[in-house]
Amino acid sequence: MKTLLRCYFATIFVACLSGTAVAQPRPGTSPSPSPSAQPPPVAPVVPASVAAVKPKELSLVRVNVTGQQHDYTRPWQKKAPFQKRALGAVLPKGRVLVTADLVANQNYVELERAETGDKTGAEVRVVDYEANLALVEPTDKKFLDGLTPMQLALDTVVGDRVAALQLEPTGALVVTEGLVTTVQMMRYPAEVSQFLAYRISMSMQYRDNSYTIPLAKNNKLAGLLLRYDPRSQVLDAIPAPIIAHFLKEADDRNYRGFPSAGFSFFPTRDPQLRKFAGQTGKPGGVYVMSLEPNMPAAKAGMQVGDIITAIGNNEIDANGNYVDPMYGKLEFTNLITSRAYVGDTLPFQIQRAGKPMQLNVVLERRAAEDYVIPPYVVDEAPGYVVLGGLVFQELSRQFLKEWGGNWQKEAPQRFVYLDRFQSELYPEGNRRVVVMTQVLPANSTLGYDEFNYLQVTKVNGREIKSLRDLAEAAKQPIDGFIKIETHEDPKQLALGATQIAEEAQSIQENYGLPALQRLD
Amino acid sequence: VPEFDFRGICLIFSDFRLMRRFCLSISLLFVAVAAAIAQPNGKVQQSVVRISANDLQPDYRAPWNAGALQRGTGAGFLIDGGRIMTNAHVVSNSRYLTVERENDPNKYPARVLFVAHDCDLALIEVASPEFQKNMVPLTFGGIPELESTVSAYGYPIGGQRMSVTTGIVSRIDFQLYTHSAIDQHLAIQISAQINPGNSGGPVMQNGKVVGVAFQGYSGDVAQGVAYMIPTPVINRFLKDVSDGRYDRYVDLGITYSKLQNPVQRRSLGLAEDDRGVLVNTVIAGSASDPHIKSGDVLLAIDDHPIASDSFVELEGARVEMPEVVERKFKGDKVKLDLLRDKKPMTVTVELGPLLPYLIQGHSYDVRPRFVLYGGLLFQPLSLDLMQAYQPQDLRLRHYFDFFVSEQIYLEHPEVIVLTNILADPINTYHAPYRGSIVNEINGQKIRTLDDLAKAFAQPAEQVVIRMVGDGPPLVLDTKEVEAARERIKTRYNVSREQNLSAELPPKPAVGQDQP
Repeated sequence: MKTLLRCYFATIFVACLSGTAVAQPRPGTSPSPSPSAQPPPVAPVVPASVAAVKPKELSLVRVNVTGQQHDYTRPWQKKAPFQKRALGAVLPKGRVLVTADLVANQNYVELERAETGDKTGAEVRVVDYEANLALVEPTDKKFLDGLTPMQLALDTVVGDRVAALQLEPTGALVVTEGLVTTVQMMRYPAEVSQFLAYRISMSMQYRDNSYTIPLAKNNKLAGLLLRYDPRSQVLDAIPAPIIAHFLKEADDRNYRGFPSAGFSFFPTRDPQLRKFAGQTGKPGGVYVMSLEPNMPAAKAGMQVGDIITAIGNNEIDANGNYVDPMYGKLEFTNLITSRAYVGDTLPFQIQRAGKPMQLNVVLERRAAEDYVIPPYVVDEAPGYVVLGGLVFQELSRQFLKEWGGNWQKEAPQRFVYLDRFQSELYPEGNRRVVVMTQVLPANSTLGYDEFNYLQVTKVNGREIKSLRDLAEAAKQPIDGFIKIETHEDPKQLALGATQIAEEAQSIQENYGLPALQRLD
Repeated sequence: VPEFDFRGICLIFSDFRLMRRFCLSISLLFVAVAAAIAQPNGKVQQSVVRISANDLQPDYRAPWNAGALQRGTGAGFLIDGGRIMTNAHVVSNSRYLTVERENDPNKYPARVLFVAHDCDLALIEVASPEFQKNMVPLTFGGIPELESTVSAYGYPIGGQRMSVTTGIVSRIDFQLYTHSAIDQHLAIQISAQINPGNSGGPVMQNGKVVGVAFQGYSGDVAQGVAYMIPTPVINRFLKDVSDGRYDRYVDLGITYSKLQNPVQRRSLGLAEDDRGVLVNTVIAGSASDPHIKSGDVLLAIDDHPIASDSFVELEGARVEMPEVVERKFKGDKVKLDLLRDKKPMTVTVELGPLLPYLIQGHSYDVRPRFVLYGGLLFQPLSLDLMQAYQPQDLRLRHYFDFFVSEQIYLEHPEVIVLTNILADPINTYHAPYRGSIVNEINGQKIRTLDDLAKAFAQPAEQVVIRMVGDGPPLVLDTKEVEAARERIKTRYNVSREQNLSAELPPKPAVGQDQP
């Protein structure tokens, strides 16, 4: 049931992506330029099955997760618990690889030996929600004894066959074979950047409600399922090279995640745009459209209007592709997000007004909390402040996603706009957007019940850039009034400092709030 | 906003969806017609006419074309001065109008005298002197009592001849007038069946017109909910046009909220009573700017105390505050008692129409404005444009939805959108710019379509179009644009490359010599 629900969402996600790409002239590192929605219809010549798997050599364990999502519409509570079952790949050093989606908001993780049904508790050691990968380790160190760790199949290319591995309830292996049709940069569920992914044509039946599904080639781990659309029978997978990148980082004591450079770009196919940008010589490269402040590209001196012609020895063509030794033409962001590590210095060859230059960009990771409106928040409880029945929260995409799969149309439209254009609207960064999300009717909020989804600009005359700002400012009433200014109508609300103090306990009891605020 | 049947209840024969939607009510109509025969009202029947309109519906996706020809029918009735009153939506976009009446075989050509799209009323005239023979002008009554019986006359679906239905007055309230989709006025809900073709027909009580049937919910949304335009709105329209032209409704140009929270009232220095509303936003350039400010508390309007729930008492009835302004005309003044920074003061506001919000409503009797340059089609943002293109672009939808509330009109009085691209070698790489909003051309800010046309007309080697947002500029070589002009015009059958005036070409005069 869980799994079916998930693939339904996956379908929507794919559809959303192509819609965005058509409507928005904003290709770049974060929004995708042209994720060709479907694999090419013509099947290449298929070599004899090379995916062939030998069940005994495959080391898989069941992973059972019980978790609870935080409820962003009632930030003081968690939603009803969920259970997810998955199949993890056993790796060296007693670790089990699963998708980050599986362990997101987990309360308890359990490993289960498929052949015996033995179980043990497990800890999540490393999780990366952007790359959608996580490592779990059994509390009983001997639990994985007798299972040969899987090696990575790093050599998968278009035309190869890979097998999706699932288990019957009996523990018997179910193998479905598919053909890798495309290797390209795709958006991952966290929607922050693009990573390398395989697109595989596969007619797969879900078994045993498995949430994470490993893919194998020649008995080695080729990838993990990212999403599957049963209608078009297209499966996207997190490829082994991304897993290898993740594992290499995970071996470090200080996990740093995947790097980014912090700019968006546009292809230079248009000769008139190239001429305008002053490009000389061979056509090619990408036009720098915008720069994130205080991110590597800006720090290295990159400017809007620069044309990036190469990174190192990899020349970038007018579509933004370089020639990858393994995959052929591939979007150049792969050189940044997948092939490089945080702290690496990448030599960017650029042309500025026709003059060639080199910029040495030192890559960093942009964490979700570095955004004004965080693109995802997992595991952490959302902050909130209740003032006399008015509920305040920091705007996050997680909050907007409470409107469901179609949140971009259903959620409060001004907030969706703020989220999408946050780097343009708040170029200085380093702040949050505080919003009043609902009114808990009480004496102090009498007559305010029509107001919701208001952006707070000031409280008691002080500018509000975080929930903490709001909590602090609320402690400084003016003439006994807490004055709240909002971007939207009604522009101003007032609360009585004494009244809300008197009413605090009854509001807490009446609405079952464990506390009137939670600041990180 | 309730979900209304968009085209009001004007019958459009080409719209089969509408036909099907209303076919359920046909059997009921027969009953009503039979009742009318049993109890004839000769005078009223002779004054009610059927109006057939031939409309040109502008095509916002090919704005150089004249548009699609559509036919529709509605009702109307004779009033004083030989004028026929009907709904604006019956005669909107019409290029040729004819009027018929019971027991007369002739079709009479007619012309529009006045049309008020903001209150869905129009006056038309038949030139032929023969036409008015045996017709008695109808006169107007007041607001009918709740539960009192009214009869609706018209030519709705279900037969060729006039139909009469009866019902009672169910509710008197402010309603959205769906013809413009942005105006709210008083409307009366009646339980009489009214259907496509009833539009513009009189609703009678005691021999007087108490309303004009104009809109309703379709049967799959709510059953038997129909609305008529009441006489205060009709009388205002007739008074407005008495000087020979229609000036539109006037508006204070503010948003306000109720003041029911005791603490908020105290913080604003209000007395412990139940008076006053809080001014939220004053629309820049509106009648109230600069006389009223955000944060003011309005206490009285023309000496009528404003209650904290925004109602005032007017002629013995509690009505919402804007009703005071509703009854006024362009240039009239309104007196407002207010509290600013806890100090009482009185301001007088000279009323005028509110313009920025017009883009969020439908336009009629206009020719779509556009500029075509290098195969790129630029058009000003409007509700009609949004409906024609159904854009998914978030920025564009934001500029439309929040045009007034975010005061986008200050920077962009017109939002110029690159709506479409007529593909040609010179614009072959420009598809990603579709749906973008023009911000600057060659360094000049673009605030209106005229600005855009002027910027393109200036001699330059290249035009550099900067869109709103982070995107790269769209660059065109002017020599190439010039070379492509005829090619694009021919290939896409474009009759004209720009239209900066919304005015329609004049209609030919209707023949006086016809029967």
